[in-house]
Amino acid sequence: MHGLSDIMSHAGLSGYAEVALVLFLLAFLVIVLRVYAPSRRREMDEMARKPLEDGTSPSGPGARP
Amino acid sequence: MNARMETFRYDDAIVRKFMVATFVWGFVGMLVGLLIALQLAQPGLNLPPFLTFGRLRPLHTNAVIFAFAGNAFFCGAYYSTQRLLKARMFSDLLSAIHFWGWQLIIVCAALTLPLGFTQAKEYAELEWPIDILIALVWVVFAVNFFGTIARRRERHLYVAIWFYIASIVTVAILHIFNNLSIPVGPLKSYSIYAGAQDAFMQWWYGHNAVAFFLTTPFLGLMYYFMPKAAERPVFSYRLSILHFWTLVFLYIWAGPHHLHYTALPEWASTLGMLFSVMLWMPSWGGGVNGLLTLRGAWHKVVDDPILKFFVVAVTAYMMATFEGPMLSVKSVNALAHYTDWIIAHVHTGALGWNGFLTFGMIYWLMPRLFQTELYSKKLAETHFWFATFGMILYAAAIYSAGLTQGLMWRAFDATGRLQFPDFIETTMRLIPMYWVRALGGTLYLIGMVLFGWNLLMTWRRRPATLEDPMAQAPPLEPLHAAAPARGGFLGLGWHRRWEGLPLTFTVWTVVAVVVASLFEILPTFLIRNNIPTIASVRPWTPLELAGRDLYIREGCFNCHSQMIRPFRWETERYAEYSKPGESVYDHPFLWGSRRIGPDLAREGGRYNDLWHVRHMENPRGVNPRSIMPPYPGLLAQPIAFSGIQRRVDAMAMLGVPYGDAIHRAEDMARAQAKQVADEIVAEGGPAHLEDKEIVALVAYLQRLGTDIKVPPVAAVAAAPAPGSAPAPTAEGGR
Repeated sequence: MHGLSDIMSHAGLSGYAEVALVLFLLAFLVIVLRVYAPSRRREMDEMARKPLEDGTSPSGPGARP
Repeated sequence: MNARMETFRYDDAIVRKFMVATFVWGFVGMLVGLLIALQLAQPGLNLPPFLTFGRLRPLHTNAVIFAFAGNAFFCGAYYSTQRLLKARMFSDLLSAIHFWGWQLIIVCAALTLPLGFTQAKEYAELEWPIDILIALVWVVFAVNFFGTIARRRERHLYVAIWFYIASIVTVAILHIFNNLSIPVGPLKSYSIYAGAQDAFMQWWYGHNAVAFFLTTPFLGLMYYFMPKAAERPVFSYRLSILHFWTLVFLYIWAGPHHLHYTALPEWASTLGMLFSVMLWMPSWGGGVNGLLTLRGAWHKVVDDPILKFFVVAVTAYMMATFEGPMLSVKSVNALAHYTDWIIAHVHTGALGWNGFLTFGMIYWLMPRLFQTELYSKKLAETHFWFATFGMILYAAAIYSAGLTQGLMWRAFDATGRLQFPDFIETTMRLIPMYWVRALGGTLYLIGMVLFGWNLLMTWRRRPATLEDPMAQAPPLEPLHAAAPARGGFLGLGWHRRWEGLPLTFTVWTVVAVVVASLFEILPTFLIRNNIPTIASVRPWTPLELAGRDLYIREGCFNCHSQMIRPFRWETERYAEYSKPGESVYDHPFLWGSRRIGPDLAREGGRYNDLWHVRHMENPRGVNPRSIMPPYPGLLAQPIAFSGIQRRVDAMAMLGVPYGDAIHRAEDMARAQAKQVADEIVAEGGPAHLEDKEIVALVAYLQRLGTDIKVPPVAAVAAAPAPGSAPAPTAEGGR
C-alpha cells in the first residue's frame, strides 16, 4: 500500500472531487432535459398508470380475484 | 401485436409471511426500544450482564431497521413487483429461502447482541458469520428479483422497480465493503480499516444504509401504494424520475456529515455537507409528489385511516429530510452532534416515515391478502391516533433534551469557565424528558398492539382456502418489435430502450453509486498527508487490546465517544482535541456518535485505578446520580489470556507494528495485569484481581489519549523497534 500511497499523494488529485461534482451536475442536467422533453408526455402518463393496472379484476377494499 | 393472453397467478402467500414477520419483529424491536428508554430514565432496570443498555441498544436498532423495516420492504416489494411486472416471483423456493433465511438472521442477531458479540460499528454490529449469511440471503433475494424482471410481461419498469433495484444493489455493496474484517474467533473479528479510514467507511455505510434501506425502498413502496390507496396515478411521473436519479447521485456522497469536527480531513467533511444540502431538492420534490398524489382525494383522508397513515408518513419524510441537511451544516452540527437531537431526528424518520408508511401499506394489504373485509377500520383509526400522539410526545421530549444538553455543554459563565463542568448535571436535566419519551414510546407500542389485533382478527375472517389471485397479460414481445426508436437527442430512442433494459439500467445505477464512493473514499485511503502520523502513538499492549475488546463487548461506545472536537468548550471539559494520528491502530475505530456519558478520548490518568474498579462495579456507589449500568461481573470473570496471542497476531497482520508482542503476547499481558492488580491493592482496593477482566479494562482506560503527552524522543527510544521507521511527528491535522 505504501508505494501506491506515495503515487497517489504526489499525483495532485486533491481537486478531483470538484471535477466529479461538475460531471455529476452535467449528468443531472441531461436527465432533466430528457425527462421534461415535451415529446415524452404521453409515455409518462402511461407509465404513471402502471400501478393501477395489474391484470386482475378491478380492485377495491376486500376485492377478490 | 400479439393478442394472445397468458394466465398466471401472483404469489400472495409469501407476501402474507413477510407481513406477519413485519408485525412480530416490529413489536419486539419497539419493546426493546421502550426498555432501553426506561433504562436511561431508571438505571436500575439494567440487568447485567445480558440486558444492559450497551448491549440492548444495538438490538433495538437492528430489530427496527433490519427486522421491522426490512420485512416491511420485502412484503411490499413482493406484492408490488409481481403486479408491476405482471409475473409471479421467479422461484417460490428462492422466495421461501429469502423469507426463512432473513428470519434466521434476525434470530441470530437477537441472540448474539445481548451475549456481547459485536463489531462495534453502528447498524453493522453483527459478527462475521452472520454477515456472510446476510450476504447469501441478499443474493437469493436479488436472483429472485432479477429473475422476475427477466420473466416479466411488462416492457417498461415503473419507477418503484427502479427504487427497488437501486436498494438491492447498493445495500449489497455497502454491506460487503463495510464489513471486511479478519476473523479471530467464531464470533469475533477486527475491521481491516483503522481509525479515520474505518470511521469514513462506517459512515459511508451508516448514512447510505439509511438511504438505501430506509429511504429508497420505502419510496418505491410509496410510489406504488399511494396511487393504489388514492386510486389515482402519481402526481408527476417526471418528478418521480428526477427524484430517483438525484437521490442516487447525491445520497452516496453525504456520509461524512456524520463526522464533522472529528479527526476527518476537512475537505471530506465539507463535501459531505454540500451534498447533504443538495439533497433537500429531491427529497422535497419527492415528498410533494407523494402528497399531491392525493389531489382531488383529500376528502377521503378524513375517513380513511390508510390515507391518514400515508399523509403523516410523507410529511415525516419531508420533515426528516429537511432536518437532515440542516444538521449536516457544520455550525448546526457542532451543537447537535453527540446529543439526543440526532436520536430525535432518526425517530422522526423511523417512527413517522418507515412506521406510518408500513402501517398504511399493511392496512391496505390486509383485506386483499386475506380476501375478506378489514376486521375493524375504527381500530385502525385508533392505532393512527395512538401512533401520532406517541410520536409527537417522543419528538417533543427528545428534541428538547438534545437542545438542552447541547447548550449546557457549551455554556460558559461570566468568568469564562464552563458553566456546567460536571457532566452529570447535564444528564440530570434530561431525566424528566426521558420519562416523557418513554410515555410516547408506550403510546406508539399500544398502537402496535392494536395493529396486531386487527391483523389477527382479519386473518381469522379469511375464507377456508386462500387461493393465489389470477391475472392475465400478453407475453412480452421481442425488444425490436416494441416501441420503434425515434431520432434526435431528446426523442431518445436509445434511452427508451435502455430504460426498458433492466441490466443496463442496473449498471448505470451501480456506476453512479460506485463512482461517487470512489471519488470520496479513495483520497482518504491513499493520500498520506490526510492522516498525519504521530511518532509517540504506539499500538495497544496485549492486555490493553483485551481490555478494548471488553469495552467493545459491553457496548461502551454506545454512550461514550472517544473524539474531542476542536472547540473551546470541549477542550476545557476534556482536554486536548483528538488528532487523526491518534487512532491509526484502532481496528475498529471507537469514536462513537452519542454522549450519554462523557467523552473518554483522554480518560487515561484522570482517575486512579481503584476509582475505575469501584466505578465499574457499581457506578452509583461512586456517583449517586450516574445512570451507567453496573458491571460487577468484570471483577469476577477471568481474562481469556490464551486468546490474546491470536488477537495480537491478527492486528499484526493488519499492519499494526506489534514488534515483540507477536511472540509473547500472553506473557506480556500477564505481567501487565499483575502490575495493574498490585497498583489497585496499593491504592487500598481488593486483592487477587490479576486474572480478572476488570484489570484489562482498567489498563485500556488508563492508556486512552495519553500517548500524545509522551515526548516524541522518549517514545521513539522506548518503542519496541517496529519494522518500519516512525514517520515524523505532525501535530494537528487540521
